Amino acid sequence: MGHFLIRRLAGAFLVLVLVSLMSFALIWLVPGDPAAAFLDASATPEQVAKLRSALGLDLSLPQQMLGWYGRILSGDLGQSILLNRSVTAALVERLPVTLSLAALALAFAVFFGVAAGIIAAVNHNRWPDQAVMTTALLGLSVPDFWLGLVMVLVFAVSLGWLPSGGFTPFMESPGQWLRGMILPALTLGLVQVGFIARMARASMLDTLGQDYVRTADAKGLAKLHVVLRHALPNAMIPILTVIGIVSGALLGGAVIVEQVFSIPGIGRLIVGAIASRDFPVLQGGLLFLAVVYLAINLVVDILYAVVDPRVRLA
Amino acid sequence: MQGTRLVGRALWGRLLRNRSFVIGALLVLLMIAVALAADWLTPFDPLKSNVRARLAAPSAAHWFGTDHFGRDILSRVMIGARISLAIGAFTAILAGIAGTLSGAIAGYFYHLDQPIMRIMDALMAFPSIVLAMVVSAVLGASLTNVVIALAIATTPHTARIVRASVLLEKEQEYIAAARSIGVGEWTILFRHVLRNVAGPLIVRLTYVFAIAVLAEAALSFVGAGPPPPAASFGSIIAQGRDFMREAPWITVFPGLAIIACVLGLNLLGDGLRDVLDPRLKF
Amino acid sequence: MAKHIIFGAALAAALMLGGAQGALAQRKGGDVVIGISQAPPSLDAQITSAQASRNITLHIFETLYARDENAKPVPELAEGVTISPDGKTYVFPIRKDVTFHNGKKLDAADVVASLERYRKIGASPALVAAIDTIKASGEHEVTVTLKEPQSTFLDNLSSPRAPIAIYPASEAAKEAGKIEVIGTGPYKFVEYKPDSHVKLTRYDGYAPNPKGTGRDGFAGKKEAFLDTVTFRFMPEGGARTAALEAGQIQFNETVDGPTAKRLGTDNRFTIHKVMPFGLQVIKFNQAQAPANDVNFRLAVQAALDMEEIMAISYADIYQMDPSWLYPGAAFHSAVGSDKYNKSDIKLAKELLAKSSYKGGKVTFITDNLRPNVDTATLVQQKLKEIGVEVDIAVSDWPTVSKIGFTPTGWTFWTHGFGIEPYEGPGSVMAPWVNGLSQQAKDPEIDRIAAAFNAEMDEGKRKALFDAFQKHMYDAAVAMKAGNYGVFQASTAKLKNFKPYRIPRMWGVWLEP
Repeated sequence: MGHFLIRRLAGAFLVLVLVSLMSFALIWLVPGDPAAAFLDASATPEQVAKLRSALGLDLSLPQQMLGWYGRILSGDLGQSILLNRSVTAALVERLPVTLSLAALALAFAVFFGVAAGIIAAVNHNRWPDQAVMTTALLGLSVPDFWLGLVMVLVFAVSLGWLPSGGFTPFMESPGQWLRGMILPALTLGLVQVGFIARMARASMLDTLGQDYVRTADAKGLAKLHVVLRHALPNAMIPILTVIGIVSGALLGGAVIVEQVFSIPGIGRLIVGAIASRDFPVLQGGLLFLAVVYLAINLVVDILYAVVDPRVRLA
Repeated sequence: MQGTRLVGRALWGRLLRNRSFVIGALLVLLMIAVALAADWLTPFDPLKSNVRARLAAPSAAHWFGTDHFGRDILSRVMIGARISLAIGAFTAILAGIAGTLSGAIAGYFYHLDQPIMRIMDALMAFPSIVLAMVVSAVLGASLTNVVIALAIATTPHTARIVRASVLLEKEQEYIAAARSIGVGEWTILFRHVLRNVAGPLIVRLTYVFAIAVLAEAALSFVGAGPPPPAASFGSIIAQGRDFMREAPWITVFPGLAIIACVLGLNLLGDGLRDVLDPRLKF
Repeated sequence: MAKHIIFGAALAAALMLGGAQGALAQRKGGDVVIGISQAPPSLDAQITSAQASRNITLHIFETLYARDENAKPVPELAEGVTISPDGKTYVFPIRKDVTFHNGKKLDAADVVASLERYRKIGASPALVAAIDTIKASGEHEVTVTLKEPQSTFLDNLSSPRAPIAIYPASEAAKEAGKIEVIGTGPYKFVEYKPDSHVKLTRYDGYAPNPKGTGRDGFAGKKEAFLDTVTFRFMPEGGARTAALEAGQIQFNETVDGPTAKRLGTDNRFTIHKVMPFGLQVIKFNQAQAPANDVNFRLAVQAALDMEEIMAISYADIYQMDPSWLYPGAAFHSAVGSDKYNKSDIKLAKELLAKSSYKGGKVTFITDNLRPNVDTATLVQQKLKEIGVEVDIAVSDWPTVSKIGFTPTGWTFWTHGFGIEPYEGPGSVMAPWVNGLSQQAKDPEIDRIAAAFNAEMDEGKRKALFDAFQKHMYDAAVAMKAGNYGVFQASTAKLKNFKPYRIPRMWGVWLEP
């Protein structure tokens, strides 16, 4: 186990170095200038250059690279060019927003996904199975932003049940917060429901076929009891892995969903930073997302290795 | 030779008995047929604006309505099928080539495994839509660059799948046998190992195709999709979203077309997986 | 003294008018949320010329001189000005009744520090390029000397483009983007949540300009009734409209024609037209083939159907007008109308045949703003009819604005010119001087612009501007498609709103 841990951590560290390098490389790959966001169409290149130096953007590449690594090693992601605050502060501000959105979506996806998967598995090859699986596949085939737009049209504009966008902090008004989060979380979660349902079904079918479950079944224990007490806990292991994957996908999906619903989360921060060439925010945000993704996967891998010793040898 | 043909026929028979495969294949073939025949099928010129017919609701003349240029949405969706499918297909081909090469080399040559796979891991650590947006910002928005961006985002996972299969395959006895009679390593890799990786790869690339059709639409939505006059599914939606309330048909119909297309590809992928790669469960 | 009496009478009249209205409806209180499409790059007003910043900062900050409703410069924080006979020395008495949002009294030191800061890091350095020295010549008096006399100096000083905002001296000492947002305007800054909103609250210590007569452009009396004004950043047009309909916002900065039409029939909402708001301009890159050839440019100019471009890009909110100035401007002119909006394919083909263009693709660059992409799409479609193949390259603003000021990588570029015609004829000519926007020097334009800036006689200045406009058409230096406006929508409860270059939240109130 110790050996596995060391190997896994070393690998993760290597990836981290690559990720930081890639995040930095964006500066000279992405064309355009952060100063341009400040100026209108008739700004001359001289004006742009002047503003660049006023904003302290006219450093050479090696200087910038030295600064980048110097900073991230001391846990500092630098200063945003546009937001008048540090990148870390900007990220910390958005983190609860994106996390709560992703958490709601995940809860929604896991609950309905696992439930649907169990229903399908228990009714293997009968109509509920087919209905669930078809719906799951349909869910996987819907573009998330389109679903968001249609949801706004139906639930916000036509029916007027829920707000069309915007964000109320939980501390300000929990009720408003929840109302505002329902449509985005549904949009974000629906695609993952399909994914989890398919995985849960496969995993349940596997365990339902195992001897001990058959024995329990043969002993005449109630079907529901067998499924929930005996089969589900064992089926949860692969499902947990999928939840790891889903968490990564949710972070990516949040980028789009935050855009549709005007939610000030990390996704919108990064999309905005691409558009305005706020490179420190873009670099810091990407690095942050990547680290979160790596951490989730590391934890899932280690958990998996703890549960299933064969993995350590692979 | 006789043997492979028999195996092929058996596979084909199993595919045809697989409901997912058949329905998926029919849907995808229908889409491809529309895409190929779009020039003859479109009731109107999909690029021609018509000031007098702007934002017309669906009617006998314009089944899917018109956009703010007065262009016929049905015609645009038909042409859109061509562009979106082309983007999907080329992305699958590109990701297939890049993923197979990197995955196979990583899996087969031990000392290259770490460097290649860590790069793939690093790429996977960025949300693919953000990665595609950044690539699109670097290269500029064009059809080719959208394909490149999507291929970069879908290659790492493809490489992982190929690598896993190669790792399994290279331990087989026939490989050791080939090596013992002096067959070169690259020959073994490309002649023998990769042939057996084909199943999982085809399944994966079908999904890549589906992912690319979805991701193209998302890219268009954030303003990094193919430029006009291209009418991909995504760009039609993106152009219509300012008029979402007044002319929902501009957004709704291409969205439904995406669903049909991606659903078909996913069904096709599921069917192929059941038959070609039974190890995978979901 | 006589002047004061006239002022007094005007004031009394204004008060009576205001009083009549006020007795009925004027009401303090209420909160307005404005949905705006873009977040401001900065609230440091001096360092940005972005519309998104101006929308907000001009509620917070004021300038020495400001533009009135007809875009003429009038005193704001200055009481007036005395100009020396040689035109080089400007003495500004500063108002003594003004207090900053932090409680500090405005004095000459603040003005000097703010002007000096603008000279160093202001986003429109041309505005203050003529200044030689700035001195506090009294506790409430500032003396500015110019290197050369400049007839447009007060125009420059009052330009809202990247406003020469007056900060407290303590803030004016700070670097770009590092200031505390403290001004003298009718609203004061509360908070800025990136990607979410900027919130302002009424500044009860605001001292209205005693010479002001009610709401008057960016100047005049700025009476704030609302308790708070929040600018919420909502990039999705559909989301802004939905939010207005759901009552989450009270004002939508910009809506599309079809949406405006629909909301207009609903008595819960009021539609406002800001007309004109800008000129839709299509630029040529004259540094390289084929647009370096005048016949190619004339061919394109002859071919385009400008009315179609405007009707689709700016549905229901455009004017067809050949002038490079807004209707009503002193120098507005129809010169060149014989070459404007011709849609003459036959003529275009003849001209194209005379040009050096022998096929091949040309690139049209545009940012991803819908009307600009629409314009590019329609130009592409039209030019296909005369045999010119156009590729459209859509990028975001930073990329496009970078490429568009280089001599390669583009042939056409379209965007709006909004603030230039508002500022006046000098600003309209400036982008073409020295070949800045067309990437090749045009001696004729350089000659006209130089003469124009030196000329003091209005009649001769008008003749020079006519000559400029004629040349724009005769040589197809660049093309103007038409004037566009902006539809804004608000709740019908918002009273007494008057559209202007920014959604002014002074002089308006909310009915319960």
